[in-house]
Amino acid sequence: MKIVVGMADMRVTNDPESTLITYALGSCIGISLYDPTVKVGGLLHFMLPESQIDLEKAQRNPWMFADTGIPLFFREMYKLGGDKKRIKVKVAGGAQVMDAEGYFNIGKRNCMALRKILWKNNVFIHAEVVGGNVNRTVRLELSSGEVWVKTSGEEERLI
Amino acid sequence: MNTLDLILQKTTTLPPYPVVVQKVLHLVDDPKSSAEDLVGVIQYDQALTAQILRVCNSAYFGLRRPIHSIREALVRIGFNQLLEIIMSYGSAYLFSRAYQGYDLAEGDLWRHSVASALLSQIISKHVNQEKTTVQFTAALLHDIGKIMLNEHVKENFPEIQKLVHEKNYSFIEAERAVLGTDHAEVGGKISEKWQFPQVLAFGIQYHHSPFLAPSDQELVSLIYLCDVIAMMTGFGGGADGLAYHGQKKIMKQHGLTAKDVEQIISQLEDRLHQVESLLNMGTG
Repeated sequence: MKIVVGMADMRVTNDPESTLITYALGSCIGISLYDPTVKVGGLLHFMLPESQIDLEKAQRNPWMFADTGIPLFFREMYKLGGDKKRIKVKVAGGAQVMDAEGYFNIGKRNCMALRKILWKNNVFIHAEVVGGNVNRTVRLELSSGEVWVKTSGEEERLI
Repeated sequence: MNTLDLILQKTTTLPPYPVVVQKVLHLVDDPKSSAEDLVGVIQYDQALTAQILRVCNSAYFGLRRPIHSIREALVRIGFNQLLEIIMSYGSAYLFSRAYQGYDLAEGDLWRHSVASALLSQIISKHVNQEKTTVQFTAALLHDIGKIMLNEHVKENFPEIQKLVHEKNYSFIEAERAVLGTDHAEVGGKISEKWQFPQVLAFGIQYHHSPFLAPSDQELVSLIYLCDVIAMMTGFGGGADGLAYHGQKKIMKQHGLTAKDVEQIISQLEDRLHQVESLLNMGTG
């Protein structure tokens, strides 16, 4: 079954039949977590680096921001039996327009926020396709843990 | 014959823009237009009336009591909002199609258009400007040139993509280098041919180069921002992706900071359910 993860949204599952997919990552970032032992996986599509720009919003929808969404995402994985030491982290997105510095570089700031949170928690990124000026779609196969990234105008590829 | 002339010649074979939309467009541009003019334009179009009422009663407005007639909608929703619904309805069928040249699946371009139109309202509010129906409409229609340029981009895609990937061209620069024209210019010229009001034609033609617009630069640069922020947010991005220049000067012109852009994106997400109401027009 295909489960679509929307913008500012997160889904975890242990259904081996399912595929999690999130479309149209521009500056936003898609993170896939997968524990191969218990075959639990999830996908988070966050949009902005820090919740401080709108705390009330972060209360309502923590998946909007890296700093509120990522820690909660790991906790949802643990609830289904995922273990931090086994979880594989794969990341895609964080693109930006050309000459983005200063005003339009949310993609880069999203990447930095993500790295900071993972680094503080001793979590490594196993694979990533980030930056550039392209749109991406990310797909996680629960049966295999494979993460596929489709860049607009190109073929889908395994990361 | 060059690509632009070819396209302009072929517009006779394109589906015409709905007559009702053309009439409504001129109401948008005319400060003297009134509710009576609007009722006059739409009252005999039952399909349009039904669609308008459907949107009025959708999550977009979140009304408690349903609206049953156009006159009631005018009172409860207002003239400008009704114009915006009609513009959206009239454009949905054309923008909702798939455009393979740009690697846009069915609905993608429409999603980008609707997000841009809502961004025009969010950004004007953010910079304390009055939101206008002209802004909404220009933002909604800004990429109309992609619809006509699609086939030509498709035929020449490897060459265009090569310039973007290897020579650091923006997508629109690559279109121009390969095809001799680009989607903004095509959109502007088509708008003239369809007799859209001039301010809309400028908003469309100069949405990647606002400072070249002969007039209405403030509006045009707002459309630029709507387009760029919609792209960043991932609404309906295609093969061109985010390969366009970020222009700091325009941010400064509107007094916007990087944090403002984040707040604007956050507000757009709040209105996703409204986007859905408008998006459904493409399929409904």
